[in-house]
Amino acid sequence: MGLGAIVVIGAGENIFSQRVGKDPASANAGLAREVALLDGPLTCVEVLGRTTVERMVERLLRTGVDRVCLIVDEAVAHYGNPFRASFERAEAEVAAAPEVAVSQRLAEYSQSGIDHCFVLSADTYVETDLLDLFYFHRESRQVATRAFDQDGLLDLWVVDCAKAQRVSVERLLAPDATSYFVREYVNRLKHPRDLRRFAVDSLSGRCEAVASGKEIKTGIWVDLGAEIHRRARLVAPVYLGRRVKVREGTLITRCSAVEAGSRVDSGSVIDDTSVLENTEVGICLDVCHAVVSGNRLLSLGRNCVLEIHDANLLRSTVLDRVSSSALTGPNRKVETLIAKDVKKSESEKSIQLPHGSWVPILSRE
Amino acid sequence: MYTKGPVVVVELPEQLRRAEAEKFLGELQPLLENDRPSLVLDCSKVQQMDSAGVDMLLHCLEEAMKRDGDLKLAAVSPASAVLLELMRVDRLFEVFETADQAVRSFNALPVDANRNTQPWYAPALGLNELKAAS
Repeated sequence: MGLGAIVVIGAGENIFSQRVGKDPASANAGLAREVALLDGPLTCVEVLGRTTVERMVERLLRTGVDRVCLIVDEAVAHYGNPFRASFERAEAEVAAAPEVAVSQRLAEYSQSGIDHCFVLSADTYVETDLLDLFYFHRESRQVATRAFDQDGLLDLWVVDCAKAQRVSVERLLAPDATSYFVREYVNRLKHPRDLRRFAVDSLSGRCEAVASGKEIKTGIWVDLGAEIHRRARLVAPVYLGRRVKVREGTLITRCSAVEAGSRVDSGSVIDDTSVLENTEVGICLDVCHAVVSGNRLLSLGRNCVLEIHDANLLRSTVLDRVSSSALTGPNRKVETLIAKDVKKSESEKSIQLPHGSWVPILSRE
Repeated sequence: MYTKGPVVVVELPEQLRRAEAEKFLGELQPLLENDRPSLVLDCSKVQQMDSAGVDMLLHCLEEAMKRDGDLKLAAVSPASAVLLELMRVDRLFEVFETADQAVRSFNALPVDANRNTQPWYAPALGLNELKAAS
């Protein structure tokens, strides 16, 4: 008897909720696209060094799932590889019609001896005991069991692969399936503010997710290759991602997270803010209660997105990564904190894959 | 641009980047050179502003204050407010919801204007009153 999993990465909106409808959470479904802080799905954005979809895949594999299949909506396949690590027993597939791909994958699982399968949307981060959910489903003897929490239905099912052959996907994943109540931490990644909530919850210990990298002092997490000026001030809990540069006189505080490849210039204050990947924050700025990505800033207090066409304030560092090395000359007294015991693994190779490459998921060391 | 008593209300342009800011400053310069200029900048039409725009606002404020005047902002959009906060200049300006409120704020007397009617050296009680009290 085997156990499989299908994780669907959609184009911002929830593909299951669109078809099944009337999920209380689906009221916010289109919001992520309206706000347009980010162009791609929120699940592919690194929070504390790793994407939520990667955390979910890891959780599934830890549960003892034999095979995990990621079905990526064609509309978001160009966005990039959301995996820092690499997993054996996991594969990815880009599909124009994810619901058809789910159906085909269930049939394939059934033929290859996998009896039950978790089906979930990558938009839902759930920290429930998946084995308990599976046992609950098995005892109920139904075709499918759907999880829900205090805020409504979740896009997480356990499906009997053999029985699922006789039912359409729409019927299979209908809201009237047997329900399993989730008491643990849940984050529906519908809006960029949920990324911020996830970072705060994780750094405050309200969920099991842990920041990647090394905890150099209590509550201060620093990832591989981060450079922190000795006159920069970090007030725990904070997270500094891979290759982050924090310059002189900056203050980073109140559960702020500066993700991989970002830079915070001299004298700036990052307060209760997530600076997403490859973002440069200019000199002497006050970024408070916000999510920043490239040259866009979502003010959580005022609930508005600001696109700033002024490279002195905010900008993306993707294009000038090579030239940025000139900024750290020997006279800048940059103290380099490299987490030496964090072994450079296959994960770093996966980052260098060509943009949009989903297929090469290598075996983990 | 219109005036309400001694106060001049000026609408800022939709775009407030370097080029627009320089042009706007050129238009505003004669007003800033008046004695005690009282200006309200109506930001209701501003859609995009950058650091050059904020620099221009700071320059105007500085010029107005040099001549014992003041400059106030009105109808600042959330996006502009976020930018002012980001650049830490929000606390330098008085910001009002509408231009009318900003104009009225110029005419209002200071809160403690009536309190100091007596000169600082005048005793509250005369010597005779003090003797009687003791």
